[in-house]
Amino acid sequence: MQRRLFYFLLSIVITAIVTAGLLVIRDQMEIATVALLYLLPVGTSAALGGLSPGILAALTAFFSLNYFFLPPYGTLMVHQSQDILVLIVFLVLAVSISQLVGRMTNSLATARARENETARLYELSLALSRLHREPDLLTNLAQQTLETFQAEQVEVFTEGEPQPGLIRLPEASSRGNSLSEQPTILVSMQGRQRLLGEIRLWRTGWTLSPSEERLLRTYASQGVLALERARLAANESRARILEESDRMKSALLSSVSHELRTPLATIKAAVTSLRSEDVAWEAEARRDLLAAIEEETDHLNQLVGNLLNMSRIEAGALQLNRRWNVLAEIAAPATKRARLAGPNHRIELDIPEDLPLVYVDDVLMEHVFNNLLSNSLKYSPSNSIIKITAGLQDEQNVWVQVDNQGPAVLEADLKKIFDKFHRVTAADQITGTGLGLSICKGIVEANQGSIWAENLEHGFAIRFTLPTQAEGVNPRIPNE
Amino acid sequence: MSNQPHILVIDDEHQILRALRTILTGRQFRVSIAATGEEGLALAAASQPDAIILDLSLPDMDGVTVCKRLREWTHTPIIVLSVRDSEQDKVQALDSGADDYLTKPFGIDELLARIRVALRHAAARGSANKRTVVTAGPLVIDLAQHLVRRDGEEVKLTATEFKLLAYLASNAGRVLTHLSILSHVWDPADADHVEYLRVFVHQLRKKLEDDPVQPRFILSEPGIGYRFMAGD
Repeated sequence: MQRRLFYFLLSIVITAIVTAGLLVIRDQMEIATVALLYLLPVGTSAALGGLSPGILAALTAFFSLNYFFLPPYGTLMVHQSQDILVLIVFLVLAVSISQLVGRMTNSLATARARENETARLYELSLALSRLHREPDLLTNLAQQTLETFQAEQVEVFTEGEPQPGLIRLPEASSRGNSLSEQPTILVSMQGRQRLLGEIRLWRTGWTLSPSEERLLRTYASQGVLALERARLAANESRARILEESDRMKSALLSSVSHELRTPLATIKAAVTSLRSEDVAWEAEARRDLLAAIEEETDHLNQLVGNLLNMSRIEAGALQLNRRWNVLAEIAAPATKRARLAGPNHRIELDIPEDLPLVYVDDVLMEHVFNNLLSNSLKYSPSNSIIKITAGLQDEQNVWVQVDNQGPAVLEADLKKIFDKFHRVTAADQITGTGLGLSICKGIVEANQGSIWAENLEHGFAIRFTLPTQAEGVNPRIPNE
Repeated sequence: MSNQPHILVIDDEHQILRALRTILTGRQFRVSIAATGEEGLALAAASQPDAIILDLSLPDMDGVTVCKRLREWTHTPIIVLSVRDSEQDKVQALDSGADDYLTKPFGIDELLARIRVALRHAAARGSANKRTVVTAGPLVIDLAQHLVRRDGEEVKLTATEFKLLAYLASNAGRVLTHLSILSHVWDPADADHVEYLRVFVHQLRKKLEDDPVQPRFILSEPGIGYRFMAGD
């Protein structure tokens, strides 16, 4: 609006200046020359301001010519018929020039506006195509709308999925209070199947021109496209995750049923033998069979415990009961158990006396030691040494290492061995669900520690850290 | 009547009931069985058993509630059974008056040991002259004289160390929860400071055990508490 007003004023001012200049040399000028010179402000106004300012300049020039330059001066009367002809010719000429030039200017402006619009749209679609997360998308859409339309405030509202969302820019809108409840314009974002949301735009002072409105609608439809694409992609990846977890579950099931059946087979065989009345078992044979039953029962129990832990870690439902603990006290029962299970290994527990207390769940950490020791027993040769050592890592952590003299693991596999079902050796060589290390990782990390694997010069080690502070505080111990 | 101890088993799994009845009867106990909490409570009131074995997961009511209701009128020892990984339930049951616990699956030797300890404590509670000297291997703990000897030599303990040892030893064989030890030896306000216990138990073990890392007398029950093992 203000721009148009400026051009109208300009056309009058230019005509006035030309009039003033001509008035000084009025007596030396032919009327035809004056009329010719008057075409100057008309052309200029039309070129600068377009059609309407041009016409205004033409009319102003027409009246000025008549009033100031055609005798009798100072009136709009014309005596000589020749002068009338000059006037008419001038008017026709001035109007046609301003029309021609004006149209050209107008179409140039339109072309520029179109180009600008196209550039903006390109920018928008480019920006949106790079984004994948819905909130990022919507924020970007709001930001671009805000800039392009020079708006006071823009809101992008989305329906459902899972909750309705609202992005408002500028975020902390201090001017928000002065804005009316109703937006200046509201454009809905219509998806293929249903309404996805709407763009609300506040702009004080001037309404949107039809071309701006059209552009805003295009913005909305670009937003819809991007949103639908993002949602489609999200659904697809969710489906992929489900599929993955399904695959994991069936792998778990097959691995587990195999693992469970092995001890069950031993137990069943031993029990049916003992019940059989055909054979009178020697005392020693009876003891062997019974020992096998007991061992396999413990084995089954540990398996079930691991499965339970795994499913809890998976579900994020691991219930932690973290307390101050003496690390050696946690490792000792596991060591004792491992010594019973692996009489052919030497198992050393070497934890310094003065190691600070660790803030962990002792029951779960015992599972970690059980799993690490049982792995060591499986993978290291008979008559070799398995060692548990520990020390101070830094002011907030201790390190713990469980190492054995088993074979080295490929560097590339050092990280992978903590994955579920990952086994270093072929599945049928060594029994196990491949869950042990991934459970250890889950438990150590839940206790705010970290765990990793290392190849030693002559063997293999799992190392982990455990915190010696609870929320940044050391334990307080009474003196007496 | 015979002087066979009478045991009430409350468990909803029939296999366990059948096995326990056979095994315990074979060990010269009289055995009653109940499959629900209500039935167990009624049977306990009617038959006044010498000890109760109570599974914590019952179909009709929470095992902890059964514990509390029993404790309203009887001191009969209660041994709770539960599966692994439910330490909280066990601690709750112990703090609600249960005497001991066993984790399923358990060996029958363990169960028999628990029953014996429970019966002995119940008998001790009834008699006037309580045991004032507890022996455990080379250790002789004189609760009345505040004296501890190891292989005949006196072991110097601080006041708190002795108080802790005395509480553990006078409950020899029984599990004591962290909460119960802390509020007994220190103060109920210190009941959640397990770190005190860790440090003082560690000190005691250094003075009393041959190998403090593989203790024989003061045993840790992970997630639950401690147990003092008396006898040889």
